[in-house]
Amino acid sequence: MQDSIRLHYRRLYILPTKRGMGFVALLVLLVTIAAIYNNNLVYLLSFLLASIFFITILHTVKSLEGIVLKKGHNPAVFLGENTQNQLILDNPTNTARFSVQVNLLNQTPQIIDINAQDKNSVLLKQITTQRGWHQSSTLIIASLYPLGLFRTWIKPKLEFKTLVYPRPSANSSPFPSSHISDDAPADSSQGQDDFYGVQSYQAGDSPRKIHWRALAKGQGLYSKQYSGESRANELILDYELTTGADSEQRLSQLCRWVIDAHQANIPYAFKLGSLHLDTHQGEQHYQQCLEALALF
Amino acid sequence: MNPNISSRTLIFLLSSIGLMTLPHVLHVPLPLISFFFLLLGWRFIGIFKPAYLPSQIIVFCLLLSGIGLLIFMHQGVFGRDAGTAVFITALGLKLLEIKSERDLYLITYLAFIVAASQFLYLQNLFMAVYILLVTISLLGTLLCINSGSLGNTASIKKAGSILLQALPLMAVLFIFFPRIEAPRWSFLQDNNQAITGLSDSLEPGSISQLGLSGDIVFRAKFTGKIPENNQRYWRGPVFSYTDGKRWTASRNRRFKHYLDKVTFSGEAYHYKLLMEPQAKNWVFALDMPAAFEFPLHENGVHQLLTSKSFSQRAEYPISSYAQYNTGYITKVEYRENLQLTPQPAERIDELVAQLGGFDDDPEQFIKNLFQHFRENKFEYTLMPPALPNKPIETFLFDTQAGFCGHYATAFTYLMRVAGIPARIVTGYQGGIYNETGKFIEVRQANAHAWSEVWIQGKGWVRYDPTTAIAPERINNDVNIEQQISNNSISFAPIQLDSQTVSLLKSMRSVWSSMDYSWHRWIINYNRRNQLDFLSKLGIHNILSLLYWLIGSIAFISLILAAYLFKKDRIKRDKTQHYYWQACQKLVPLKLIKAQYEGAEDFAKRVDATAPEFKAQFQIITTLYIQLRYGNIKQQKRLIQQLKQAVKQFKPRGV
Repeated sequence: MQDSIRLHYRRLYILPTKRGMGFVALLVLLVTIAAIYNNNLVYLLSFLLASIFFITILHTVKSLEGIVLKKGHNPAVFLGENTQNQLILDNPTNTARFSVQVNLLNQTPQIIDINAQDKNSVLLKQITTQRGWHQSSTLIIASLYPLGLFRTWIKPKLEFKTLVYPRPSANSSPFPSSHISDDAPADSSQGQDDFYGVQSYQAGDSPRKIHWRALAKGQGLYSKQYSGESRANELILDYELTTGADSEQRLSQLCRWVIDAHQANIPYAFKLGSLHLDTHQGEQHYQQCLEALALF
Repeated sequence: MNPNISSRTLIFLLSSIGLMTLPHVLHVPLPLISFFFLLLGWRFIGIFKPAYLPSQIIVFCLLLSGIGLLIFMHQGVFGRDAGTAVFITALGLKLLEIKSERDLYLITYLAFIVAASQFLYLQNLFMAVYILLVTISLLGTLLCINSGSLGNTASIKKAGSILLQALPLMAVLFIFFPRIEAPRWSFLQDNNQAITGLSDSLEPGSISQLGLSGDIVFRAKFTGKIPENNQRYWRGPVFSYTDGKRWTASRNRRFKHYLDKVTFSGEAYHYKLLMEPQAKNWVFALDMPAAFEFPLHENGVHQLLTSKSFSQRAEYPISSYAQYNTGYITKVEYRENLQLTPQPAERIDELVAQLGGFDDDPEQFIKNLFQHFRENKFEYTLMPPALPNKPIETFLFDTQAGFCGHYATAFTYLMRVAGIPARIVTGYQGGIYNETGKFIEVRQANAHAWSEVWIQGKGWVRYDPTTAIAPERINNDVNIEQQISNNSISFAPIQLDSQTVSLLKSMRSVWSSMDYSWHRWIINYNRRNQLDFLSKLGIHNILSLLYWLIGSIAFISLILAAYLFKKDRIKRDKTQHYYWQACQKLVPLKLIKAQYEGAEDFAKRVDATAPEFKAQFQIITTLYIQLRYGNIKQQKRLIQQLKQAVKQFKPRGV
C-alpha cells in the first residue's frame, strides 16, 4: 500500500455545484436579454461570464493538482477513543492552495490552506468500535476553489491502519495476588516499599495511599497497596487470572492491569495465550503487551 | 446573520453591489434608486452593528413598500425600465436577508443582471470598462467566500487574472455565437425613443438620434453604371416653409402644373429600388428621377410618391440622371422659397454682406459661405448642443456644431437672406455597395438633409453644406458604423497653431478611432455584420460555424490548460536538497527523519542515538534552519557552507 499519493488531474473528478447550475441559469437569462434587445454588450457580458465559468473548471482542477498526500503520525488508541490519523498535505508547487476540504466519508470536511512550497496537516478522527486493526473509511479530498461553481474531488487510496487496544476496564481491580508468594502474612508485610496493586478504599487507610489518579478519572476511591521489594519481581499479569463475562471483558481487565503497572513503574511479566513475556519494565515492554492485547 | 459569513466578504459584496448599481442613478427613477441605496446603506451599517438590522416584520414591510413603489412607478414588470426597476428593488431587499452562503450567490447573480441592464441604457466604452472592473470585484467576492486566507488584494488579483484568461474565449464566443434577430415584442419595448427615419418636418436640433439606426430603408440594384458615393443623393421630402424653427413642405399642391420641364443630360442610371416597409408613401429615388412607372408619381418638388401600399416591401424600376436642369420657377415658387421667418438679426445680415451675399454672383457667395464654415471650425457631430431659441443664429455664431440638419437649415436661411431662392431637401445620402449582391444598401443612418438653390439658367442646383464641414461624410464610402461612431467627433480641419492643440487633436483622433472601432466591431456586430465577417472566414453554413466554434474553443482551452498546468517548476531549493542528502546518509544507521518531525527534533534524536555525529549534524541543522527560516542575507555563502558540511558528513565511514 502506498504511503504517499500525488494528486493528478487525470484522477480528479469534477462536476458543477448547485451554485454552478444557478450560474448557468443566469447565463441563459442574460443571453435571452441580449437576444431580445439585440444588445451586443449584454452578449459580451454573458460570454465573459460563460468563459469564466468554463475556465473555472481548469482552475478548480488545478487547485488540487500536484498536492502530495502523506501519512503522518498515527498513534495507536484504546477502544472507544477517536483515531488520530495525521494526514500531511504537501504542496511542492509554487502556487498556494486555498480551502482544500479534507474529510473521511460521511464526515464534515476540514478546510485548510497550504502555502506554496509548504505543508499543512489535518487530524482525521474516527471513533473506534473494535479492537485490533482499525481501517479508516474512504478519504475524500475536495475543492470548490476559486468561485464555488465547480467541485473537484478525489478519493485517494490512502488507508490508515490504526492499532486499537482493548478498552481498559473502568474499575481497576487489585493485581492478581495468587502468584505472590505467601512468605509473610499479607497485611503485616504490606509496607511502604513497592506498589503492587490497588484495593477498594477502607476507612482508616492513609490518605497518602489513596490512588488519586483513579479518583481523578472518576473511577472511585481506591487505596494503593505496597509490598516489600522481595515481591516486586513476582508480579505476573496473566489472562488466566482475569475475571469477566467474556474474553473482551477479561482483556479489558488485563489491559487495565498493564496500564496501572506501567504507570506505577512496577516491573511485570505478561501472559496472554501462547505469549509469555518475562518480567520487565519500560515503554517498549508496555507497547509489546498492549499490542498483544490488541491483536489477541 | 450567519456567523460563517465573514464581514470581509460582506464588505466586498456590498461595495461591489453599490458600484454596480451606481450608474443606474442616471436612468432609474429617484424614489426607487434612493430606496435601493437606503437598503444598501442599512445593510452596510448592519455589518458593524448587527443589532440595527431590521427584524422579519420590518423586512416584510419594506418588501411591501418596495412592491408599492414599483407599482406606483411602473406598470407591469416587462420592458427595459420596469425590468431594471424590479431587479434593483429585488436586489436591495435581498440584501437584508443574507442568511447563508447561498444568499450571497443569489445576490451576486442578481448583481450581474443589474450590470447587464446598464448596457440597455448606455453602450459606450467607458460603461463597458466600468462594468468589467466591477465584475472583477464581484468575482473577488465569490473568491472571498471560497478561499480562507486569501487576502483582499490577492482576491482581486486572482479574479482579475481569471477574467483576463476568459477574454480570448469570450471573443471567440462573441464572434461565432449566432445572432438571432429576435422578434421585437411590443410589450418589451419602451416607447421613449422615436423610430429613426425621416419625418415630414425638420428642426435643426430635434432629431439628435437620427442616424444611429441600422434599419434598412431600401436597396437599389443597378444595371450598368453605379453612381459614385458623392452622387448618391436619394431624394425625399422637400421643405420650403419655415416658422423660424420648424421646416415643412410647401402647402401649394398646384406647383406641378406650372413646372418647367426638366431637361436631363449625361448618362442615365437604371436601377430597381427595393423599398422596405415604410411609414410614409415616399419613395427615395436617386437625384434626379427621370423615368418611373405606375404606381409611382412625382410631386411638384420632384419627389416620388407611391399610391400602392407602402407598409409592405415593394420594388420599383426607376431611371435617374445626375445632370439635369429644372428650368424656370413660378412666381409662387420663387416667393415661397424666399420666405424668411424670423427676420434676420443684424449680425446675420453683416455676415451675409461680408461673404458677398448681396453681390451679384450667388455661386461666389456659396463658395465664400462654405469657406466660412471651414475656416471657423464648425463641427460635425451627431450629438450637438440643444438649440431652444433662435436655432439658426445660435448655431451660426455660438455653438457652431451640428449635423446635416443644422447645416442645411442655416445654409438655406442665409441664401434666402441674400435673396437667393433656396429650400431644404431631405432624404438619404450614400449607402454601402454590396459586392456580392451588386446593390447599394441604404439604412436609416444614411438619413441626410441638404439644400437646393435656384440659380438663373441652371434651375434648382443641389448644394450640400455638410461637405464643407465633413467631406468624409459624403465622399468616403460612409457606412453606418462610421457614422454611428462619428457620434461626437469633430471634422473641423486641423489647425497646427499650437502644440497643445495638436496634442489635443491627436488624442482626440486616437480616441475617435478607438470609439470608431468600438462601435464598428462591438456595438454594431449584428446578424448582417456577423454573416459578412463569417463569410470572409469561409463560414457559410451552421455546420462549419460549429466546427470553427468548437475548434477555437478547444484550441484556446488547450493553450490555457498548458499555461496553467505547466509543471510548476519544482525548485526544491538547494537548501532542501542538501539537507535531504545529509538525512539520506543517516538512513543506514536506522535514523530516518519522519515527515512530521522538525529538523531540530530530528537533530536531538540523532544526538541521542548517535552522539558521535552530534557536532557535524548540528552544524548542518543550524545552517538548514537559518537558510529556511532565517533572514537570509548571505544566502549563497550559507548554501556553500551547507554543501561543504554535507559533503564532509560521512557517518558511515566512522
